[in-house]
Amino acid sequence: MRVVIVEDQVLLREGLARLFVNGGHHVVASLGDAERLHEILIGQNADLVVIDVRMPPTYTDEGTRAALETKQRHPEVGVLVLSQHIETTHAVDLVSRAGFGYLLKDRVLEVGEFLATAQRIANGGSALDPKVVARLLAPATGPLARLTERERRILELMAEGLTNTGIAHRLMLSERTVEAHIRHVLLKLDIPETSDGHRRVLAVLAHLRAVYEWS
Amino acid sequence: MALPTLRPLPGTLLAVTVLGELGALGLSWGLEPAYDTLFSALVAVLTVGVGALILSRHPSHVIGWLLCVLGLANALAADLPQGWGLRAAAEGWAWGPAAEWLGLWTFLLLGVVWVLIFLLFPSGHLPNRRWSTVVWLDVAGTAILAAGWALDPDTGRYFAGGRNPYAVPGLPTDALFWGGLVTIAVAMVTALAAVVGRLRRSHGVERQQMKWFALSSGFVVAALPTGAALWNFTPLVHPLPLIALTVWPIAIGVAILRYRLYDVDLVISRAFTGAVLTVVLALVYVGSTLVIGAFAGFGSPWATAVSTLLAATAFKLLHQRVQRRVDSAFRPMHHAALSRVGEFIDALRADQVEPEQVVEALRSALGDPLLELRFVLYADEPPVDERGRPVADHLDGGRESYVVERGGITLGQIVWLPRTEEQRRLLPSVVAAAGLAIEMARLRVELRHRLDEVEASRARIVTVADEERRRIERDLHDGAQQRLVSIGLALRHAQHQLGPAEAAASRTLDDAIAQITQAIDELRELAQGLHPALEAGLRPALHELATRAPLPVDVVATAERFPSDVETAAYFVACEGLTNAVKHARAQRVVLRVARENGRCVVSVTDNGVGGARPHNGSGLTGLSDRVAARGGSLRIDSTTGHGTTLTVEFPCAS
Repeated sequence: MRVVIVEDQVLLREGLARLFVNGGHHVVASLGDAERLHEILIGQNADLVVIDVRMPPTYTDEGTRAALETKQRHPEVGVLVLSQHIETTHAVDLVSRAGFGYLLKDRVLEVGEFLATAQRIANGGSALDPKVVARLLAPATGPLARLTERERRILELMAEGLTNTGIAHRLMLSERTVEAHIRHVLLKLDIPETSDGHRRVLAVLAHLRAVYEWS
Repeated sequence: MALPTLRPLPGTLLAVTVLGELGALGLSWGLEPAYDTLFSALVAVLTVGVGALILSRHPSHVIGWLLCVLGLANALAADLPQGWGLRAAAEGWAWGPAAEWLGLWTFLLLGVVWVLIFLLFPSGHLPNRRWSTVVWLDVAGTAILAAGWALDPDTGRYFAGGRNPYAVPGLPTDALFWGGLVTIAVAMVTALAAVVGRLRRSHGVERQQMKWFALSSGFVVAALPTGAALWNFTPLVHPLPLIALTVWPIAIGVAILRYRLYDVDLVISRAFTGAVLTVVLALVYVGSTLVIGAFAGFGSPWATAVSTLLAATAFKLLHQRVQRRVDSAFRPMHHAALSRVGEFIDALRADQVEPEQVVEALRSALGDPLLELRFVLYADEPPVDERGRPVADHLDGGRESYVVERGGITLGQIVWLPRTEEQRRLLPSVVAAAGLAIEMARLRVELRHRLDEVEASRARIVTVADEERRRIERDLHDGAQQRLVSIGLALRHAQHQLGPAEAAASRTLDDAIAQITQAIDELRELAQGLHPALEAGLRPALHELATRAPLPVDVVATAERFPSDVETAAYFVACEGLTNAVKHARAQRVVLRVARENGRCVVSVTDNGVGGARPHNGSGLTGLSDRVAARGGSLRIDSTTGHGTTLTVEFPCAS
């Protein structure tokens, strides 16, 4: 996997680069800000951009804007946004696109899981940080109240971007059981069933967003 | 008034007069009553003194010269020969009878000067040329009278030798005497009529001058005959001629030098009040003495005591009323202005007006609709208006500034455009009468000014605190948290370098990394509570807040943006309301509302808890109300036991 890292803090940037290198990936560029990102992506055949939300000059949402721009100009490149704090609205907004991920920064310390998630995004999948998902699913009101404990757990993993196989593996269930649960969840939330894994995630997210924005 | 510098000639005349009078005093001392000697000397010196003073200001003023001549003639032609005659007779000196003779008649010449002053005051010109006839009439009358008096053998009794050495026997002296006297009387009365005529026609400054002159002349005309008529009946009248003849030149000096010229109305009013009161009290005293005397016997101490008491009571009761009546008659403008201010002060006491409205009362009392009252709050700062705003400290268009002081403290200044000298004279007493209201108004302005300062400083403090929280939050996110992630990454790298062989060390590193992750989580929670992430607006931030709450929260919020300080304050209101609902109200559900209503941002937190919340029961509401007040907002709590609690906060925010 060919990776571009955009992170203003030197130590973290180098740590990230080493992490990818140790995992057998190729870091094609390490940048302190997003200014030359577009230019680099044209020259290099990158699979993934890992980008920090807060960057110079204002340290507010430079990274988010650069991420969206990258997605528009280079739809084939996966974008993984790293954030310091849990922020549901932005996160759900971003992850509603294919090949997009939103993770908290400390997620990088779980190296294996992090690299797997990064790979998934580079392959066009999605990833939403479990903490963001947990917050989205926290209120026990509305349609979510109708779900069982097991169904809620499966919905969380769906929202994180895991496939049926991934969920089955994580929960140590058979894939058929997982499929059955998912059918129930979609039914209870009135979401039409499709075969496409990613579309399914989007449907869940769109639904959740609808619940929280206009409740 | 600066000390005047006398001009050489008038100064010399004054010196000569003083020397002459000193000489006359020395000569006649002990040979005639001391009163006569001193009286004559005092009047002469005073008259020349006033004349010289007038000439020091107006070098060719006719009245100044006439006063000098009058006093000088008094000293040299009358007092000095008289004194010489007396001393010569006593000591046997030469020229005694001649001096006595001069002293006998030269004072008559002074009458001519008097008539001239009557006719020429204050301008130095006759009212018109025809009036010169009166002068000649007076000169002729004086000459005839002097001849009929100085040459009359009957005047021998005034000489020490018992004989008039210059008497001309056979002259019709009686006819001359009476003819001259009548002629002079006619001239005098005509001259006084000229004074009255001039007083009637005059206006402005000349009118004030004529008032002084007429007042003092009237006093002379009344006091001299009264003193003469009652001289042998009561010693009370003995000072009258002295007072009259000293007051007269002083009044002339005041009128011409215009020093306190406009106080004449006050003097007239006080004099008239005094006269009226004297008459009334005398009547009361006499009446009560008679009535009580009829019962208790005349001369009884009871009659005296009761009459005195009655007179004193009557004085107390009448003084203010008579003064007010007289003021309204003699000083109508002064009276009207003071009663206007008096009415305002009464209304202020009755709580019907605000102290700041004193400026309107001053405007109407002083007849200047553009009059401004500026307050001085601090000695070294520019004055401010009634709203505490600084005003430019300059005067334009001929406007004048008057410093208002009370009890030694400068309260402010009045800036106005007086149209007449009379208005200018009016200002101090009007301001003094309004002093209480001005002081109250200033205190209120100062209070508001300080309140504004306090509010501004509270807003600054909240802003600084918010900025500080934001800075700390950033430091935590971008500093400590990032550093911890970097350290974690370094540990992971070490783990990688150790390879699979060092399983024990790898587990230790796993533990360390788990602790780092824990620390990052804790820091994140801490940072999140410090400063809300409001970049995307209040609504997303509130949704975010709702997701973190341990109970169902409905958010009904407008997507509109508000000023960032209002959004921050509104966010903290929501946090505090939510915390209270969870901690104290035992609520099952909370609704957060944000809306714009009538140009105000209205934030409310409604729960379905136990209710009965009190704003002072130690919750974070105190800090919250400070924060709200710092943004000019208001906070309200509606909470009845069993019916939940609604916390409503409104911030002003014009769209």
